[in-house]
Amino acid sequence: MRMVLNTGRTIPQGNFVEYKPSPEYGAETSRAFLAPLDLMDLGIEAGDRVRITYGGRSVVLTAAASDDVPPGTLFVPYGAHANHVVPAATHGTGMPDFKGIGVEVEHTGEPVKTVWELMEDLGGKRYDR
Amino acid sequence: MIVRDVICPFCACLCDDLDVHVEEGKVTAVDNACDLGSHKFLTDHRMKGPVRRTASGWQEITLEEAICETAELLMAAERPLLYGWSGTCGEAQSAGVHLAELVGGVIDATTSVCHGPSILAIQEVGHPGCTLGQVKNRANVVVYWGCNPMHAHPRHLSRYTTYADGFFVRNAFKERKVIVADVRGTDSTNVADEFIRLQPGGDYAVLGALRAIVRGKGDVVPEEVAGVSREQLFRIAEICKKARYGAFFFGMGLTQTAGKYKNVRNAIELVDELSRHTKWTLTPMRGHFNVYGFNEVCTWMTGYPYAVDFSRGMAFYNPGETTAVDILARKECDMCLVVASDPAAHFPAEAVEHFSSIPVVQLDPFPNLTTAFSRIQIPVAVSGIDAEGTAYRMDGVPLRLRKVVDRGYPEDAMILSAITRRIADGGGP
Repeated sequence: MRMVLNTGRTIPQGNFVEYKPSPEYGAETSRAFLAPLDLMDLGIEAGDRVRITYGGRSVVLTAAASDDVPPGTLFVPYGAHANHVVPAATHGTGMPDFKGIGVEVEHTGEPVKTVWELMEDLGGKRYDR
Repeated sequence: MIVRDVICPFCACLCDDLDVHVEEGKVTAVDNACDLGSHKFLTDHRMKGPVRRTASGWQEITLEEAICETAELLMAAERPLLYGWSGTCGEAQSAGVHLAELVGGVIDATTSVCHGPSILAIQEVGHPGCTLGQVKNRANVVVYWGCNPMHAHPRHLSRYTTYADGFFVRNAFKERKVIVADVRGTDSTNVADEFIRLQPGGDYAVLGALRAIVRGKGDVVPEEVAGVSREQLFRIAEICKKARYGAFFFGMGLTQTAGKYKNVRNAIELVDELSRHTKWTLTPMRGHFNVYGFNEVCTWMTGYPYAVDFSRGMAFYNPGETTAVDILARKECDMCLVVASDPAAHFPAEAVEHFSSIPVVQLDPFPNLTTAFSRIQIPVAVSGIDAEGTAYRMDGVPLRLRKVVDRGYPEDAMILSAITRRIADGGGP
């Protein structure tokens, strides 16, 4: 299903912003808030996983229901998960499109990756001391 | 021991009324801070000492070794990028600009992925700004456009707007009208007198419609503009025109959506239009506690607020070309020094990928996602907790951050100056 992705700050994301390796941070930035009607259209319930794809990159998130999110859009707290699909083009401004991205959303059984797994996919190495 | 009137080094509200409880060199409790500020003071997950990434894992190194290797990597680089700067004080930012000039690198701040577009708009049409004290004491209409202060700046409403009684606004909750524009419902829209729910990407059109109405050209406005009814637009325009003093705050909802700086320009021009009827001001809701500071420091040192390229031997500024995301996505830089930010968490993956093919050195108190790409990380003191220094509030007021505990970590400015001295001396021992 084609939807508009918006990212933004939330209190839990901000609380753990200085401790990003924590499970709490990864749990917050991997949540996708959708309108209940969109969950129905996707044939899923809150807690199920969705894959969002844009420009050949995709990431798995945990779906959450929210009456505040308009149908046809999804909100993901700002962080490494959403940024896995945010395009780098800045249109000559220096600022990528962190909001208003037309992504493909589908149900998946795949697990949500940790932030370290996402970094390793990009060539990084986890800090585990 | 309780240290009183401490300034919070989390967001650019720089709340200056915190009471911090310190016992045996550790912060044990914080009074008056929001959830975000409290977590920053109480987080205890610091890296212990400098580390080097090797093929077999992470290796502890001395501070001297870390400084020497960083200097060598900067000297060997043809196009180094020095990025971050928003989570440290002005003294370190100043040392960073000197270092960038010395190595002929590009220096950019987190500004480019937060209010960079706002600065571009301000450079086009000016900034009708004011201090937050003016807002608190005078504003009886407040607009929050494309931002959610309840989550990103939790005490903004209680210190300056909705719940803050002022000299000319005796009962703020009753006298102040709060208008919030957003594409989704939030905790901030829940406390608004008027919620402008617009379609994603509709900001430019809605701001343009409001400008037309305020200018007396309302007859051109159709029944609905980007999801907002004509009736509500006229009602909002009337509230704004009748304000005794209006304050317009805005966030990433304008700078990160299509249109970017043109959205902000339209907001500034709406404020300009309204100021022909009454008094209105505009303030970007700056994020990091000292992101504004970098723009001030960089401007008085180079003439430009961010994204400055010294490779020509002089300061050159061209956002879109000399901004960090563009440089990384083009795989242009061959070394990166990251100070007081976490680009691996906050940049698009396509830009982050380039970190894996170049040497990265990071100065940051905490292990973060950029640590995964760092060849060297030097843990430093946290500005405003175990280091003092100057920070600029979102309204441009400089405030002196205090040191409330001594954890024994070196300060950013000291390390940057040591690296600079080493390079200036030719890199010898």
